Amino acid sequence: MSELFLELFSEEIPSGLQKNAREGILKLFTESFSKLNINFKSNKSYSTPKRLVFFFEGISEKIEKKGITIKGPKVDAPTIALDGFLKSNNLDRAEVFEQNTEKGRFFFAKISPKIILVKQELAKIIPDILNKYSWKKSMRWADHSLTWGRPLKSILALLDNQVIQFSFHHLLSNNLTFSDEIIEEGQKKIKSFKSYLKLLDRRKIILDQNLRKQLIVKQIDKVCRTRKLKKKLNEKLLDEVVDLVEKPNILVGKFDISFLNIPKEILITSMQQHQKYFPLFNQEDNLTNAFIIVTNLEDKKGLVKIGNERVISARLSDAKFFWEKNKAQSLVKQVGNLKSINFFSKLGTMFHKVQRIKKLGTMIADQLNLNKEKVEISASICKVDLLSDLVGEYPELQGILGSYFASAQGFDDDISIAIMEHYLPLGLDSKIPKKPISVAVSIIDKIDTLVGFFGIGEKPTGSKDPFALRRTAYGLLRIIIENNLSIQLKNLINYSNTLYLEQGFKFPNQLNINAITNFLRNRLRNYLKVKNVRYDIIEAAVSSQVSGDFVSLYKKCLTLNEYLKKDLGKNILTTYKRVSSILDQEKKTVNLKITGEPNSILFNKDEEKLLFNQINEVRKYFSSVIKNENYEKTLEILSSAKKTTDNFFENVVVNDKNENMKKNRLELLEMFCNTFDNFIDFSKIEGA
Amino acid sequence: MKKKTNKKKQIKKKNISVQKFQDTILNLQKYWGNYGCVILQPYDMEVGAGTFHPATTLRSLGTKPWRAAYVQPSRRPSDGRYGDNPNKLQHYYQFQVLIKPSPKEIKKLYLKSLSTIGINYKDHDIRFVEDDWESPTLGAAGLGWEVWCDGMEITQFTYFQQMAGIECKPVSVELTYGLERICMFTQKKNNVFDLLWNDSGIKYKDVFYQSEKEFSAYNFEHANTDFLFKIFEMVETECKSLLDKKLSLPAYDQCLKASHVFNLLDSRGVIGVAQRAVYISRIRDLVKRAGSVWLETQT
Repeated sequence: MSELFLELFSEEIPSGLQKNAREGILKLFTESFSKLNINFKSNKSYSTPKRLVFFFEGISEKIEKKGITIKGPKVDAPTIALDGFLKSNNLDRAEVFEQNTEKGRFFFAKISPKIILVKQELAKIIPDILNKYSWKKSMRWADHSLTWGRPLKSILALLDNQVIQFSFHHLLSNNLTFSDEIIEEGQKKIKSFKSYLKLLDRRKIILDQNLRKQLIVKQIDKVCRTRKLKKKLNEKLLDEVVDLVEKPNILVGKFDISFLNIPKEILITSMQQHQKYFPLFNQEDNLTNAFIIVTNLEDKKGLVKIGNERVISARLSDAKFFWEKNKAQSLVKQVGNLKSINFFSKLGTMFHKVQRIKKLGTMIADQLNLNKEKVEISASICKVDLLSDLVGEYPELQGILGSYFASAQGFDDDISIAIMEHYLPLGLDSKIPKKPISVAVSIIDKIDTLVGFFGIGEKPTGSKDPFALRRTAYGLLRIIIENNLSIQLKNLINYSNTLYLEQGFKFPNQLNINAITNFLRNRLRNYLKVKNVRYDIIEAAVSSQVSGDFVSLYKKCLTLNEYLKKDLGKNILTTYKRVSSILDQEKKTVNLKITGEPNSILFNKDEEKLLFNQINEVRKYFSSVIKNENYEKTLEILSSAKKTTDNFFENVVVNDKNENMKKNRLELLEMFCNTFDNFIDFSKIEGA
Repeated sequence: MKKKTNKKKQIKKKNISVQKFQDTILNLQKYWGNYGCVILQPYDMEVGAGTFHPATTLRSLGTKPWRAAYVQPSRRPSDGRYGDNPNKLQHYYQFQVLIKPSPKEIKKLYLKSLSTIGINYKDHDIRFVEDDWESPTLGAAGLGWEVWCDGMEITQFTYFQQMAGIECKPVSVELTYGLERICMFTQKKNNVFDLLWNDSGIKYKDVFYQSEKEFSAYNFEHANTDFLFKIFEMVETECKSLLDKKLSLPAYDQCLKASHVFNLLDSRGVIGVAQRAVYISRIRDLVKRAGSVWLETQT
């Protein structure tokens, strides 16, 4: 049993590439090993900015290759085929023999059993694997042919204490690593993975990313305990920082307490995004002026801490200067300046957009019964912060900063919160606006965007969605459904279209409103998937023409999803399928126009009349509950039709000799299906 | 006894390490000159960064080895703040090193160069943070890092992959030191205008304050935009005609002019978003042709 140890030493590999590299290369190793029947007990991969390390324990020293007979080309194939066969299997012509098979006469060769040393095999496998690994982003350097994440400097490859000798582009494998990794000096001979770890230990380098993470978190915890502070670690940042250091050390920095007067989001963004620090909080969850710096060396002279504190303080002084300036600049007076910011080249400036959504605001305020003035004010100033120096410096804080400016200028809370929340949701799972004014502004902003881009034909195609319209539509759908809103989307879309035209924008083709609602329907598909709704129910919902009311469509799906497992649901489905399968069959064989309007005079059996009456009952029910439908109750009513339907089929023969009678019965069945489809397109539901 | 002398040495060293602005330039020149770089003077035209100097752009093309270092005054008209901002300037200095092919020991060379300007890499947290560079105007792209010293960006470290739309083979490495930032760090100043320029008490403010004020006014308020638009067209025409005559260097100069005129128009706020991309691509087309002609005319 042997151990394999590979160190790839390079210049600093970005943290975003390390995880992929350590996992991807390891995977190539295990795949290659299993293909070649090389066994091993355990495998590990590690990375630091400078190192990628792979370690296998319990590797078999030899591989026994069993003797086999391999089939070559047909005897009458061109000679080139045989030559290729000989070459690729390293055979002599004399080793090949002919033999008949069911498909003709072929060449064959016997490969005798062989024992191969794994070490020899590894010298071939490793460079192959390294060549095969494809980086998300890679580069060339000097005059070498190799492309790698960052310049690769040395390859240490050991099987036990022996160098696995191979060349990889301009590099030769060896048993050396740098004793001074900073300036890449001092080649140190390594005998084993264990002695390598010892060397790293002396240099205070922690190879294992998981250990580095634990250590960093532990040290931060310690700081928090002694100073009675709280951490709220941003996991993504933590993972990034872990892969930015190999000698982690923790410092506690401070900035001047007066900076705590500027919006905390600015402080946190400066610390996390720009400087990769971890902010600390007090027991009441308020941000403090203390923060954690994770450095890559011990700060023996205290210079690192001072340096970092000066950097953050310079950044924050800048931010403070702009905060004082921007919050004093009247949002209302600046609205006109939005003319200087483009919304989209063919859709005008942000000023145009704001004018449009302000007007849409009056419509949605009516629909949702909201304070019109608040919606209008929020709509007209919600984009003004884009003009500020601060949003220029901190673009990710758009909306949030506008909200602070609005509060500082005495606007009502509903308005300042709406400015912040109208951008929500930001991601698939991020929170959505819940406050009425925020909801309204968020909806109309999104509708304006969708209508504009659809108007100029910039619909997403395939995987391309450069203007994030899918995300916008998905967000819109979530806001409507999760706030349980009954709004008239079509009216809003129509009006939005009118507003564009009023401003003089020309949409090359007339805007197709159905294209937008269908686009939304397709987003509903994703949304239902996330909610674990059965896929056939989803298809039924998407194909239902019943209404543009997404809230009810959503609720119907959930209700049906639950009841289809139960008798109630099963009854509905079996009944519907029994009816629809007869209809389908007849429609296939006879060319009849069936509209779902039976003539009651033609009924000659009680069961027909009873079924007709029952369907009419259901129809009456549907028209009575347009506003407040209780979906469970609907399902109960649909399910109650089972008995009548069963009776119908037991006593009535649809396929009557009299063509008129037959057609009328088919009309009755069609009427039945149409009525059920009022709820959802049951024909898409499977089972029963 | 030994300890004491060490301490003395340290104190002495500390004094030396507070380098004046001009010392920093001189020390970098000396260091890279000793390494074998051709020490050049700044290019005598307005450029946005040291990268635009033909000693970087054109010389990074083709197979001939090249090592050069120089300081380059760089102009970014829209970064002007009338001398009011402690960190932002419309005119500042970059120290630029370009080596082709990139040497294996470049990181060591770089770290040791820091020691000559008062930053001992053993005492500071020097970090190489991913930063992939792209210049749409130059048709250039590279991979590398921004170098952080105790959390402050002090250098751009880039391996050119492409220049003037042409694949770089072999690859050059470019180091761009931000001289003002570095000196603010070594001199522990919070305001760029407080930097000590030399040993006779001249400060950065004495040299550049008035110029920052006047040029900010020019860049933002007074530059005649009609005139500039015309210049752009003229320069473009001239460039094309020079390219037809296979005069790569004079043609490239016209690209630099076009780029600066564009930057001025941009800071005057008269170029819309859509237009912007068009102007940039017009300059890029010229640079690409200049690069090709330069390569053709190499012997």
